Amino acid sequence: MEAGRILHIGMPWTPGCPHPLPPPLPKFPRFIRASSIQRESYKGPKPSRGWIADWVSKNDDAVRSLPIYVGGASLLAVLFNRAVSGIAPVADASSSQSRADLLTLGLAVTNILTGLVWLSIRPKSITPVDPQGVECQVIYCHLPESVVSEIFWAWESLSAVTCCRSLVIVYNCQCIAQIGVAAKLRNDEPFAVDAAKLMQGSLCQGVLKSGAQSYLANLSLYPGRSELPFLPSNTQAVILQPLGDSSIAILGGDTIRGFTTSDQAWITYVGEKLDATLSKYLSNMPSVVQE
Amino acid sequence: MIITTSKTLLLNPLIQLKTPLTVKFRPKIASISARLDNSQQQLNLSVLRFTLGIPGLNESYLPRWIGYGFGSLLVLNHLLGSDSVTAAQLRTEALGISLAAFSVILPYLGKFLKGATRMDQMTLPEGAEQIFVMSQNVSVAQKENLAWATYVLLRNTNTTAVLILMRGELCIRGYWNVPDGVLKDNILDWFKNNIEETGLCDLTDTLYFPQTADADFWKILPQGTRSVLVQPVLLDPNLSTNIEGFVLLASGMKYAYSEKDRAWIRAVSNKLRNAAET
Repeated sequence: MEAGRILHIGMPWTPGCPHPLPPPLPKFPRFIRASSIQRESYKGPKPSRGWIADWVSKNDDAVRSLPIYVGGASLLAVLFNRAVSGIAPVADASSSQSRADLLTLGLAVTNILTGLVWLSIRPKSITPVDPQGVECQVIYCHLPESVVSEIFWAWESLSAVTCCRSLVIVYNCQCIAQIGVAAKLRNDEPFAVDAAKLMQGSLCQGVLKSGAQSYLANLSLYPGRSELPFLPSNTQAVILQPLGDSSIAILGGDTIRGFTTSDQAWITYVGEKLDATLSKYLSNMPSVVQE
Repeated sequence: MIITTSKTLLLNPLIQLKTPLTVKFRPKIASISARLDNSQQQLNLSVLRFTLGIPGLNESYLPRWIGYGFGSLLVLNHLLGSDSVTAAQLRTEALGISLAAFSVILPYLGKFLKGATRMDQMTLPEGAEQIFVMSQNVSVAQKENLAWATYVLLRNTNTTAVLILMRGELCIRGYWNVPDGVLKDNILDWFKNNIEETGLCDLTDTLYFPQTADADFWKILPQGTRSVLVQPVLLDPNLSTNIEGFVLLASGMKYAYSEKDRAWIRAVSNKLRNAAET
Protein backbone atom coordinates (compact mmCIF):
# COMPACT_ATOMS: atom_id res chain seq x y z
CA MET A 1 0.00 0.00 0.00
CA GLU A 2 1.46 3.33 -0.94
CA ALA A 3 0.63 5.45 2.02
CA GLY A 4 1.91 8.65 0.58
CA ARG A 5 -0.31 8.74 -2.46
CA ILE A 6 -2.04 12.06 -2.87
CA LEU A 7 -4.99 12.57 -5.10
CA HIS A 8 -4.35 15.40 -7.50
CA ILE A 9 -7.46 17.37 -8.22
CA GLY A 10 -7.02 20.27 -10.58
CA MET A 11 -9.68 22.40 -9.03
CA PRO A 12 -9.24 25.03 -6.32
CA TRP A 13 -10.30 24.12 -2.82
CA THR A 14 -10.18 26.08 0.40
CA PRO A 15 -7.51 24.90 2.82
CA GLY A 16 -10.01 24.69 5.65
CA CYS A 17 -12.18 22.18 3.82
CA PRO A 18 -11.77 18.71 5.35
CA HIS A 19 -12.61 16.72 2.21
CA PRO A 20 -11.28 17.99 -1.10
CA LEU A 21 -14.32 16.95 -3.09
CA PRO A 22 -14.72 18.31 -6.59
CA PRO A 23 -17.51 20.91 -6.85
CA PRO A 24 -20.80 19.53 -8.22
CA LEU A 25 -21.25 20.13 -11.92
CA PRO A 26 -24.42 21.95 -13.01
CA LYS A 27 -26.08 19.38 -15.25
CA PHE A 28 -24.86 16.28 -13.53
CA PRO A 29 -27.44 13.82 -12.17
CA ARG A 30 -27.47 13.12 -8.45
CA PHE A 31 -24.98 10.53 -7.31
CA ILE A 32 -24.50 8.33 -4.31
CA ARG A 33 -21.54 8.67 -1.98
CA ALA A 34 -20.15 5.52 -0.44
CA SER A 35 -20.88 5.57 3.25
CA SER A 36 -17.52 4.22 4.33
CA ILE A 37 -14.68 6.06 2.70
CA GLN A 38 -11.40 4.20 2.90
CA ARG A 39 -8.10 5.87 2.91
CA GLU A 40 -7.30 5.35 -0.75
CA SER A 41 -10.69 4.82 -2.32
CA TYR A 42 -11.86 6.47 -5.47
CA LYS A 43 -13.41 9.84 -4.69
CA GLY A 44 -15.07 10.81 -7.91
CA PRO A 45 -18.69 10.80 -9.00
CA LYS A 46 -20.59 7.57 -8.73
CA PRO A 47 -23.47 6.58 -10.98
CA SER A 48 -27.06 7.19 -9.87
CA ARG A 49 -29.65 4.45 -9.80
CA GLY A 50 -32.32 4.57 -12.51
CA TRP A 51 -35.40 3.61 -10.53
CA ILE A 52 -37.67 3.08 -13.48
CA ALA A 53 -35.20 0.68 -15.04
CA ASP A 54 -34.88 -1.23 -11.77
CA TRP A 55 -38.63 -1.37 -11.23
CA VAL A 56 -39.31 -2.63 -14.74
CA SER A 57 -36.59 -5.26 -14.50
CA LYS A 58 -37.93 -6.53 -11.20
CA ASN A 59 -41.59 -6.73 -12.26
CA ASP A 60 -40.96 -8.02 -15.73
CA ASP A 61 -44.09 -10.16 -16.03
CA ALA A 62 -46.42 -7.56 -14.60
CA VAL A 63 -45.11 -4.85 -16.89
CA ARG A 64 -45.54 -7.06 -19.91
CA SER A 65 -49.23 -7.54 -19.30
CA LEU A 66 -49.83 -3.98 -18.13
CA PRO A 67 -50.71 -2.52 -21.56
CA ILE A 68 -53.27 -5.27 -22.09
CA TYR A 69 -55.10 -4.41 -18.90
CA VAL A 70 -54.93 -0.69 -19.60
CA GLY A 71 -56.16 -1.13 -23.17
CA GLY A 72 -58.89 -3.55 -22.20
CA ALA A 73 -60.14 -1.36 -19.39
CA SER A 74 -60.25 1.70 -21.66
CA LEU A 75 -62.12 -0.27 -24.32
CA LEU A 76 -64.78 -1.22 -21.83
CA ALA A 77 -64.87 2.30 -20.43
CA VAL A 78 -65.53 3.80 -23.86
CA LEU A 79 -68.36 1.41 -24.59
CA PHE A 80 -69.82 1.92 -21.15
CA ASN A 81 -69.61 5.67 -21.50
CA ARG A 82 -71.37 5.48 -24.82
CA ALA A 83 -74.12 3.29 -23.45
CA VAL A 84 -74.62 5.34 -20.31
CA SER A 85 -74.84 8.62 -22.19
CA GLY A 86 -77.70 7.26 -24.20
CA ILE A 87 -76.05 7.67 -27.57
CA ALA A 88 -77.28 5.37 -30.27
CA PRO A 89 -74.79 2.58 -30.97
CA VAL A 90 -73.98 3.67 -34.48
CA ALA A 91 -70.46 3.18 -35.66
CA ASP A 92 -70.02 6.21 -37.87
CA ALA A 93 -67.84 9.26 -37.70
CA SER A 94 -70.59 11.81 -38.09
CA SER A 95 -70.59 13.41 -34.69
CA SER A 96 -67.55 14.58 -32.85
CA GLN A 97 -68.45 12.25 -30.01
CA SER A 98 -68.18 9.27 -32.33
CA ARG A 99 -64.91 10.49 -33.70
CA ALA A 100 -63.45 10.90 -30.25
CA ASP A 101 -64.70 7.42 -29.35
CA LEU A 102 -63.12 5.90 -32.42
CA LEU A 103 -59.79 7.52 -31.73
CA THR A 104 -59.83 6.32 -28.15
CA LEU A 105 -60.75 2.82 -29.29
CA GLY A 106 -57.84 2.91 -31.70
CA LEU A 107 -55.47 3.80 -28.90
CA ALA A 108 -56.86 1.06 -26.66
CA VAL A 109 -56.37 -1.52 -29.40
CA THR A 110 -52.79 -0.34 -29.92
CA ASN A 111 -52.09 -0.85 -26.26
CA ILE A 112 -53.58 -4.31 -26.24
CA LEU A 113 -51.51 -5.34 -29.26
CA THR A 114 -48.34 -3.94 -27.74
CA GLY A 115 -48.99 -5.92 -24.59
CA LEU A 116 -49.50 -9.09 -26.62
CA VAL A 117 -46.29 -8.45 -28.54
CA TRP A 118 -44.39 -7.99 -25.30
CA LEU A 119 -45.79 -11.25 -23.97
CA SER A 120 -44.85 -13.09 -27.13
CA ILE A 121 -41.24 -11.93 -27.07
CA ARG A 122 -40.66 -12.99 -23.51
CA PRO A 123 -37.51 -15.08 -23.55
CA LYS A 124 -38.10 -18.64 -22.53
CA SER A 125 -36.00 -19.58 -19.55
CA ILE A 126 -34.29 -22.88 -20.12
CA THR A 127 -32.80 -24.65 -17.17
CA PRO A 128 -29.19 -25.73 -17.49
CA VAL A 129 -28.42 -29.42 -17.31
CA ASP A 130 -25.57 -30.48 -15.08
CA PRO A 131 -23.09 -32.36 -17.24
CA GLN A 132 -22.40 -35.91 -16.11
CA GLY A 133 -18.77 -36.68 -16.06
CA VAL A 134 -15.58 -36.14 -14.22
CA GLU A 135 -13.74 -32.86 -13.76
CA CYS A 136 -10.38 -32.76 -15.39
CA GLN A 137 -7.73 -30.26 -16.22
CA VAL A 138 -5.20 -31.80 -18.52
CA ILE A 139 -2.62 -30.08 -20.61
CA TYR A 140 -1.03 -32.72 -22.73
CA CYS A 141 2.18 -31.44 -24.18
CA HIS A 142 5.07 -29.58 -22.65
CA LEU A 143 3.86 -26.08 -23.33
CA PRO A 144 5.56 -22.83 -22.40
CA GLU A 145 4.24 -21.01 -19.35
CA SER A 146 2.69 -18.15 -21.31
CA VAL A 147 0.66 -20.50 -23.49
CA VAL A 148 -0.59 -22.42 -20.48
CA SER A 149 -1.65 -19.24 -18.71
CA GLU A 150 -3.42 -18.07 -21.85
CA ILE A 151 -5.31 -21.33 -22.14
CA PHE A 152 -6.32 -21.10 -18.51
CA TRP A 153 -7.40 -17.51 -18.98
CA ALA A 154 -9.56 -18.57 -21.92
CA TRP A 155 -11.08 -21.37 -19.86
CA GLU A 156 -11.82 -19.11 -16.89
CA SER A 157 -13.43 -16.46 -19.07
CA LEU A 158 -15.55 -18.94 -20.98
CA SER A 159 -16.72 -20.84 -17.93
CA ALA A 160 -17.47 -17.64 -16.00
CA VAL A 161 -19.31 -15.74 -18.71
CA THR A 162 -20.92 -18.35 -20.94
CA CYS A 163 -22.55 -21.68 -20.27
CA CYS A 164 -19.39 -23.51 -21.35
CA ARG A 165 -18.54 -26.49 -19.12
CA SER A 166 -15.96 -28.34 -21.21
CA LEU A 167 -13.13 -27.13 -23.38
CA VAL A 168 -10.96 -29.18 -25.68
CA ILE A 169 -8.21 -27.72 -27.85
CA VAL A 170 -6.76 -29.78 -30.66
CA TYR A 171 -3.75 -28.27 -32.38
CA ASN A 172 -2.17 -29.81 -35.45
CA CYS A 173 -3.87 -33.13 -34.87
CA GLN A 174 -2.74 -33.31 -31.28
CA CYS A 175 -4.93 -32.63 -28.29
CA ILE A 176 -3.16 -30.06 -26.20
CA ALA A 177 -5.84 -29.22 -23.64
CA GLN A 178 -8.88 -30.84 -22.09
CA ILE A 179 -10.40 -28.77 -19.30
CA GLY A 180 -13.72 -28.92 -17.50
CA VAL A 181 -16.10 -31.85 -17.37
CA ALA A 182 -15.24 -34.84 -19.50
CA ALA A 183 -17.04 -38.08 -20.12
CA LYS A 184 -16.26 -40.73 -17.59
CA LEU A 185 -14.68 -44.06 -18.28
CA ARG A 186 -15.43 -47.02 -16.08
CA ASN A 187 -12.58 -46.41 -13.72
CA ASP A 188 -13.49 -42.77 -13.17
CA GLU A 189 -10.82 -41.59 -15.56
CA PRO A 190 -11.63 -38.86 -18.07
CA PHE A 191 -12.21 -39.98 -21.61
CA ALA A 192 -9.10 -39.06 -23.54
CA VAL A 193 -9.43 -37.32 -26.87
CA ASP A 194 -8.44 -39.27 -29.94
CA ALA A 195 -7.26 -36.30 -31.94
CA ALA A 196 -6.57 -38.08 -35.20
CA LYS A 197 -9.98 -39.69 -35.32
CA LEU A 198 -11.64 -36.43 -34.32
CA MET A 199 -10.00 -34.47 -37.09
CA GLN A 200 -11.02 -37.06 -39.66
CA GLY A 201 -14.62 -36.87 -38.63
CA SER A 202 -17.18 -34.97 -40.67
CA LEU A 203 -17.82 -32.33 -38.02
CA CYS A 204 -14.27 -31.06 -37.87
CA GLN A 205 -13.67 -31.48 -41.56
CA GLY A 206 -16.68 -29.35 -42.31
CA VAL A 207 -15.61 -26.67 -39.88
CA LEU A 208 -12.05 -26.51 -41.16
CA LYS A 209 -13.18 -26.41 -44.74
CA SER A 210 -15.54 -23.51 -44.21
CA GLY A 211 -13.20 -21.77 -41.78
CA ALA A 212 -16.23 -20.54 -39.86
CA GLN A 213 -17.49 -21.26 -36.38
CA SER A 214 -20.08 -23.99 -36.09
CA TYR A 215 -22.75 -23.85 -33.42
CA LEU A 216 -24.71 -26.97 -32.59
CA ALA A 217 -27.35 -25.41 -30.41
CA ASN A 218 -29.14 -28.59 -29.45
CA LEU A 219 -26.68 -31.42 -29.54
CA SER A 220 -29.23 -34.20 -29.15
CA LEU A 221 -30.57 -33.43 -32.63
CA TYR A 222 -27.27 -34.06 -34.39
CA PRO A 223 -26.00 -37.46 -35.53
CA GLY A 224 -22.49 -36.02 -35.42
CA ARG A 225 -22.78 -36.38 -31.66
CA SER A 226 -21.00 -39.69 -31.89
CA GLU A 227 -17.83 -37.97 -33.03
CA LEU A 228 -17.47 -36.22 -29.69
CA PRO A 229 -17.40 -39.09 -27.19
CA PHE A 230 -15.11 -37.25 -24.82
CA LEU A 231 -17.78 -34.70 -23.96
CA PRO A 232 -20.29 -35.60 -21.22
CA SER A 233 -23.19 -37.54 -22.63
CA ASN A 234 -25.72 -34.86 -21.65
CA THR A 235 -23.89 -31.90 -23.13
CA GLN A 236 -26.59 -29.62 -24.49
CA ALA A 237 -24.80 -27.31 -26.92
CA VAL A 238 -21.45 -27.36 -28.66
CA ILE A 239 -19.41 -24.74 -30.43
CA LEU A 240 -16.65 -25.79 -32.79
CA GLN A 241 -14.25 -22.92 -33.31
CA PRO A 242 -11.51 -23.30 -35.88
CA LEU A 243 -8.10 -21.94 -34.86
CA GLY A 244 -6.29 -21.21 -38.06
CA ASP A 245 -6.27 -23.82 -40.80
CA SER A 246 -5.68 -27.03 -38.98
CA SER A 247 -6.72 -26.65 -35.38
CA ILE A 248 -9.95 -26.58 -33.55
CA ALA A 249 -11.37 -25.68 -30.16
CA ILE A 250 -14.47 -27.48 -28.93
CA LEU A 251 -16.69 -25.94 -26.25
CA GLY A 252 -19.44 -27.89 -24.55
CA GLY A 253 -22.30 -26.02 -22.89
CA ASP A 254 -24.92 -27.07 -20.36
CA THR A 255 -27.94 -25.23 -21.81
CA ILE A 256 -29.76 -25.67 -25.10
CA ARG A 257 -29.09 -22.60 -27.24
CA GLY A 258 -27.03 -21.39 -24.33
CA PHE A 259 -24.46 -19.48 -26.35
CA THR A 260 -25.86 -16.14 -27.46
CA THR A 261 -24.81 -14.34 -30.64
CA SER A 262 -22.59 -12.04 -28.66
CA ASP A 263 -20.98 -15.07 -27.01
CA GLN A 264 -20.32 -16.50 -30.43
CA ALA A 265 -18.64 -13.30 -31.57
CA TRP A 266 -16.47 -13.18 -28.45
CA ILE A 267 -15.53 -16.84 -28.81
CA THR A 268 -14.38 -16.11 -32.35
CA TYR A 269 -12.06 -13.40 -31.13
CA VAL A 270 -10.75 -15.47 -28.25
CA GLY A 271 -10.09 -18.22 -30.76
CA GLU A 272 -8.10 -15.87 -32.95
CA LYS A 273 -6.01 -14.84 -29.95
CA LEU A 274 -5.35 -18.44 -28.98
CA ASP A 275 -4.43 -19.23 -32.55
CA ALA A 276 -1.96 -16.34 -32.69
CA THR A 277 -0.33 -17.42 -29.44
CA LEU A 278 -0.25 -21.09 -30.28
CA SER A 279 1.14 -20.63 -33.76
CA LYS A 280 3.90 -18.42 -32.43
CA TYR A 281 5.07 -20.84 -29.79
CA LEU A 282 4.23 -24.17 -31.30
CA SER A 283 5.36 -23.79 -34.89
CA ASN A 284 8.01 -26.39 -34.29
CA MET A 285 6.22 -28.64 -31.88
CA PRO A 286 7.86 -32.00 -31.17
CA SER A 287 5.97 -35.14 -32.05
CA VAL A 288 3.39 -36.48 -29.63
CA VAL A 289 4.52 -36.47 -26.03
CA GLN A 290 1.75 -37.92 -23.89
CA GLU A 291 1.63 -37.16 -20.19
CA MET B 1 4.40 -2.53 -34.47
CA ILE B 2 1.06 -3.97 -33.73
CA ILE B 3 0.76 -7.67 -34.32
CA THR B 4 -2.84 -8.75 -34.71
CA THR B 5 -4.41 -11.31 -36.90
CA SER B 6 -6.63 -9.48 -39.28
CA LYS B 7 -8.66 -12.41 -40.39
CA THR B 8 -12.36 -11.83 -40.28
CA LEU B 9 -14.23 -14.95 -39.45
CA LEU B 10 -17.78 -15.17 -40.62
CA LEU B 11 -20.14 -16.31 -37.97
CA ASN B 12 -22.21 -18.99 -39.56
CA PRO B 13 -24.17 -20.90 -36.95
CA LEU B 14 -25.79 -24.05 -38.17
CA ILE B 15 -28.98 -23.26 -36.34
CA GLN B 16 -30.68 -20.02 -37.18
CA LEU B 17 -32.32 -18.33 -34.27
CA LYS B 18 -35.99 -19.06 -34.35
CA THR B 19 -37.71 -15.90 -35.54
CA PRO B 20 -41.42 -15.55 -35.08
CA LEU B 21 -43.46 -15.22 -38.26
CA THR B 22 -43.63 -11.65 -39.49
CA VAL B 23 -46.98 -10.60 -40.83
CA LYS B 24 -46.94 -7.64 -43.15
CA PHE B 25 -49.32 -4.74 -43.11
CA ARG B 26 -51.95 -6.12 -40.79
CA PRO B 27 -51.77 -7.79 -37.44
CA LYS B 28 -53.55 -11.11 -37.34
CA ILE B 29 -54.25 -12.76 -34.06
CA ALA B 30 -54.04 -16.33 -35.31
CA SER B 31 -54.52 -18.43 -32.29
CA ILE B 32 -54.06 -18.21 -28.59
CA SER B 33 -53.73 -21.64 -27.11
CA ALA B 34 -52.91 -22.61 -23.57
CA ARG B 35 -50.39 -25.35 -23.03
CA LEU B 36 -49.56 -27.06 -19.79
CA ASP B 37 -45.87 -27.26 -19.13
CA ASN B 38 -44.00 -29.24 -16.49
CA SER B 39 -44.17 -26.73 -13.76
CA GLN B 40 -46.17 -23.79 -15.06
CA GLN B 41 -48.88 -22.95 -17.53
CA GLN B 42 -47.50 -21.27 -20.60
CA LEU B 43 -49.52 -19.22 -23.00
CA ASN B 44 -48.49 -19.78 -26.56
CA LEU B 45 -49.25 -16.52 -28.27
CA SER B 46 -48.31 -17.34 -31.80
CA VAL B 47 -47.60 -15.00 -34.64
CA LEU B 48 -47.97 -11.63 -33.10
CA ARG B 49 -45.11 -9.74 -34.69
CA PHE B 50 -46.23 -6.79 -36.69
CA THR B 51 -43.92 -5.21 -39.21
CA LEU B 52 -44.35 -2.79 -42.05
CA GLY B 53 -41.41 -4.29 -43.81
CA ILE B 54 -39.54 -1.01 -44.19
CA PRO B 55 -35.87 -1.47 -43.37
CA GLY B 56 -34.49 0.89 -40.80
CA LEU B 57 -37.91 1.61 -39.32
CA ASN B 58 -38.09 0.62 -35.67
CA GLU B 59 -41.55 -0.81 -35.07
CA SER B 60 -41.14 -0.83 -31.35
CA TYR B 61 -41.67 2.93 -31.47
CA LEU B 62 -45.01 2.51 -33.21
CA PRO B 63 -47.12 3.04 -30.05
CA ARG B 64 -45.35 6.33 -29.54
CA TRP B 65 -46.19 7.62 -33.00
CA ILE B 66 -49.75 6.40 -32.74
CA GLY B 67 -50.00 8.07 -29.36
CA TYR B 68 -48.82 11.39 -30.76
CA GLY B 69 -50.96 11.11 -33.88
CA PHE B 70 -54.21 10.09 -32.26
CA GLY B 71 -53.64 12.45 -29.37
CA SER B 72 -53.32 15.42 -31.70
CA LEU B 73 -56.34 14.25 -33.67
CA LEU B 74 -58.34 14.15 -30.45
CA VAL B 75 -57.37 17.71 -29.63
CA LEU B 76 -58.20 18.78 -33.17
CA ASN B 77 -61.54 17.07 -32.94
CA HIS B 78 -62.28 18.87 -29.73
CA LEU B 79 -61.40 22.27 -31.12
CA LEU B 80 -63.25 21.84 -34.39
CA GLY B 81 -66.22 20.14 -32.80
CA SER B 82 -69.70 21.50 -32.67
CA ASP B 83 -70.56 24.29 -30.22
CA SER B 84 -71.81 22.20 -27.37
CA VAL B 85 -69.36 19.71 -26.01
CA THR B 86 -71.21 17.17 -23.97
CA ALA B 87 -69.94 15.69 -20.75
CA ALA B 88 -69.76 12.28 -22.35
CA GLN B 89 -67.43 13.60 -25.02
CA LEU B 90 -65.25 15.25 -22.45
CA ARG B 91 -64.96 11.97 -20.59
CA THR B 92 -64.00 10.14 -23.74
CA GLU B 93 -61.45 12.75 -24.63
CA ALA B 94 -59.90 12.72 -21.20
CA LEU B 95 -59.59 8.94 -21.44
CA GLY B 96 -58.18 9.24 -24.94
CA ILE B 97 -55.54 11.78 -23.96
CA SER B 98 -54.35 9.71 -21.01
CA LEU B 99 -54.19 6.62 -23.21
CA ALA B 100 -52.16 8.59 -25.74
CA ALA B 101 -49.74 9.68 -23.02
CA PHE B 102 -49.44 6.09 -21.84
CA SER B 103 -48.76 4.88 -25.39
CA VAL B 104 -46.04 7.47 -25.74
CA ILE B 105 -44.11 6.16 -22.77
CA LEU B 106 -44.61 2.49 -23.68
CA PRO B 107 -41.49 2.17 -25.85
CA TYR B 108 -39.43 3.68 -23.03
CA LEU B 109 -40.69 1.01 -20.62
CA GLY B 110 -40.21 -1.68 -23.22
CA LYS B 111 -36.52 -0.92 -23.40
CA PHE B 112 -35.93 -2.30 -19.93
CA LEU B 113 -37.71 -5.60 -20.41
CA LYS B 114 -35.68 -8.77 -20.71
CA GLY B 115 -35.00 -9.71 -24.27
CA ALA B 116 -35.40 -6.21 -25.62
CA THR B 117 -32.98 -5.55 -28.45
CA ARG B 118 -31.24 -2.26 -28.55
CA MET B 119 -31.85 -0.48 -31.80
CA ASP B 120 -30.27 2.83 -30.88
CA GLN B 121 -27.96 4.34 -33.38
CA MET B 122 -24.49 5.05 -32.24
CA THR B 123 -23.20 8.49 -33.01
CA LEU B 124 -19.53 9.09 -33.49
CA PRO B 125 -18.27 12.02 -31.48
CA GLU B 126 -17.94 15.19 -33.50
CA GLY B 127 -14.57 16.63 -34.12
CA ALA B 128 -12.91 13.47 -32.91
CA GLU B 129 -10.07 11.78 -34.66
CA GLN B 130 -9.17 8.16 -34.57
CA ILE B 131 -5.96 7.58 -32.67
CA PHE B 132 -3.99 4.59 -31.51
CA VAL B 133 -1.11 5.26 -29.18
CA MET B 134 0.73 3.08 -26.76
CA SER B 135 3.50 3.66 -24.23
CA GLN B 136 6.88 2.49 -25.33
CA ASN B 137 8.03 0.91 -22.08
CA VAL B 138 5.90 -2.15 -22.55
CA SER B 139 7.06 -5.68 -23.29
CA VAL B 140 6.28 -7.15 -26.68
CA ALA B 141 3.88 -9.67 -25.23
CA GLN B 142 2.02 -6.99 -23.33
CA LYS B 143 1.91 -4.82 -26.45
CA GLU B 144 0.21 -7.62 -28.33
CA ASN B 145 -2.24 -8.14 -25.53
CA LEU B 146 -3.07 -4.45 -25.36
CA ALA B 147 -3.50 -4.22 -29.11
CA TRP B 148 -5.73 -7.26 -29.19
CA ALA B 149 -7.75 -6.16 -26.16
CA THR B 150 -8.42 -2.70 -27.56
CA TYR B 151 -9.27 -4.12 -30.97
CA VAL B 152 -11.72 -6.63 -29.55
CA LEU B 153 -13.37 -4.12 -27.24
CA LEU B 154 -13.89 -1.67 -30.07
CA ARG B 155 -15.16 -4.31 -32.47
CA ASN B 156 -17.39 -6.32 -30.22
CA THR B 157 -19.04 -3.81 -27.91
CA ASN B 158 -20.73 -0.47 -28.51
CA THR B 159 -17.51 1.34 -27.70
CA THR B 160 -16.15 4.33 -29.58
CA ALA B 161 -13.11 4.99 -27.43
CA VAL B 162 -11.01 2.84 -25.13
CA LEU B 163 -8.24 3.75 -22.73
CA ILE B 164 -6.15 1.26 -20.78
CA LEU B 165 -3.81 2.18 -17.97
CA MET B 166 -1.69 -0.70 -16.68
CA ARG B 167 1.07 -0.08 -14.16
CA GLY B 168 1.49 3.47 -15.35
CA GLU B 169 1.62 2.62 -19.04
CA LEU B 170 -1.11 3.81 -21.37
CA CYS B 171 -2.81 2.43 -24.43
CA ILE B 172 -5.41 4.59 -26.14
CA ARG B 173 -7.46 3.69 -29.17
CA GLY B 174 -10.59 4.92 -30.88
CA TYR B 175 -12.20 8.30 -31.41
CA TRP B 176 -10.85 10.87 -28.98
CA ASN B 177 -11.05 14.66 -28.82
CA VAL B 178 -7.44 15.68 -28.45
CA PRO B 179 -7.07 19.45 -28.13
CA ASP B 180 -5.46 21.11 -31.11
CA GLY B 181 -2.44 22.36 -29.26
CA VAL B 182 -1.21 18.91 -28.36
CA LEU B 183 1.28 17.36 -30.74
CA LYS B 184 1.38 13.72 -31.63
CA ASP B 185 4.32 13.03 -29.33
CA ASN B 186 2.73 14.65 -26.34
CA ILE B 187 -0.63 12.90 -26.53
CA LEU B 188 0.38 10.34 -23.92
CA ASP B 189 1.56 13.00 -21.49
CA TRP B 190 -1.61 14.98 -21.94
CA PHE B 191 -3.71 11.93 -21.16
CA LYS B 192 -1.57 11.00 -18.18
CA ASN B 193 -1.92 14.43 -16.62
CA ASN B 194 -5.67 14.44 -17.06
CA ILE B 195 -6.13 10.96 -15.72
CA GLU B 196 -4.47 11.88 -12.46
CA GLU B 197 -7.15 14.48 -11.92
CA THR B 198 -9.97 12.03 -12.26
CA GLY B 199 -8.72 9.84 -9.46
CA LEU B 200 -9.50 6.69 -11.40
CA CYS B 201 -6.21 5.14 -10.40
CA ASP B 202 -7.64 4.23 -7.01
CA LEU B 203 -10.74 2.53 -8.31
CA THR B 204 -11.50 -0.90 -6.90
CA ASP B 205 -15.02 -1.59 -8.18
CA THR B 206 -16.48 -1.42 -11.62
CA LEU B 207 -18.03 1.95 -12.42
CA TYR B 208 -20.81 2.10 -14.94
CA PHE B 209 -22.51 5.32 -15.96
CA PRO B 210 -25.27 4.40 -18.40
CA GLN B 211 -26.41 7.95 -19.00
CA THR B 212 -23.63 10.45 -18.49
CA ALA B 213 -24.77 13.90 -19.48
CA ASP B 214 -21.74 15.16 -21.34
CA ALA B 215 -18.03 15.13 -21.59
CA ASP B 216 -17.42 17.93 -19.13
CA PHE B 217 -17.68 15.26 -16.54
CA TRP B 218 -14.16 14.05 -17.19
CA LYS B 219 -12.20 16.27 -19.48
CA ILE B 220 -10.59 13.52 -21.43
CA LEU B 221 -13.78 11.90 -22.69
CA PRO B 222 -14.75 12.67 -26.28
CA GLN B 223 -17.77 14.83 -27.03
CA GLY B 224 -21.06 13.03 -27.27
CA THR B 225 -20.16 10.30 -24.82
CA ARG B 226 -23.29 8.80 -23.32
CA SER B 227 -22.11 5.75 -21.38
CA VAL B 228 -18.87 5.16 -19.59
CA LEU B 229 -17.61 1.94 -18.09
CA VAL B 230 -14.46 1.74 -16.00
CA GLN B 231 -13.20 -1.71 -15.13
CA PRO B 232 -10.33 -1.89 -12.64
CA VAL B 233 -7.71 -4.56 -13.10
CA LEU B 234 -6.81 -6.12 -9.77
CA LEU B 235 -4.04 -8.57 -9.22
CA ASP B 236 -6.18 -10.53 -6.79
CA PRO B 237 -9.91 -9.99 -7.28
CA ASN B 238 -10.70 -10.94 -3.70
CA LEU B 239 -8.55 -8.24 -2.17
CA SER B 240 -8.91 -4.59 -2.91
CA THR B 241 -5.19 -3.97 -2.84
CA ASN B 242 -2.76 -4.29 -5.70
CA ILE B 243 -4.63 -2.24 -8.22
CA GLU B 244 -2.83 -2.79 -11.48
CA GLY B 245 -4.74 -0.29 -13.54
CA PHE B 246 -8.05 0.12 -15.28
CA VAL B 247 -9.82 -0.15 -18.59
CA LEU B 248 -12.03 2.79 -19.55
CA LEU B 249 -14.65 2.42 -22.26
CA ALA B 250 -16.68 5.30 -23.64
CA SER B 251 -19.66 4.88 -25.92
CA GLY B 252 -21.94 7.17 -27.89
CA MET B 253 -25.04 5.23 -26.85
CA LYS B 254 -26.97 5.22 -23.61
CA TYR B 255 -27.16 1.89 -21.76
CA ALA B 256 -24.45 0.63 -24.05
CA TYR B 257 -23.20 -2.26 -21.93
CA SER B 258 -25.44 -5.12 -20.94
CA GLU B 259 -24.67 -7.57 -18.15
CA LYS B 260 -23.11 -9.94 -20.63
CA ASP B 261 -20.98 -7.20 -22.17
CA ARG B 262 -19.69 -6.27 -18.75
CA ALA B 263 -18.85 -9.86 -17.95
CA TRP B 264 -16.84 -10.18 -21.13
CA ILE B 265 -15.09 -6.88 -20.49
CA ARG B 266 -14.09 -8.21 -17.09
CA ALA B 267 -12.70 -11.31 -18.77
CA VAL B 268 -10.67 -9.25 -21.25
CA SER B 269 -9.24 -7.11 -18.48
CA ASN B 270 -8.24 -10.29 -16.64
CA LYS B 271 -6.19 -11.18 -19.67
CA LEU B 272 -4.20 -8.00 -19.22
CA ARG B 273 -3.66 -8.89 -15.59
CA ASN B 274 -2.37 -12.32 -16.47
CA ALA B 275 -0.05 -11.00 -19.10
CA ALA B 276 1.46 -8.52 -16.72
CA GLU B 277 2.52 -11.35 -14.45
CA THR B 278 4.56 -13.20 -17.06
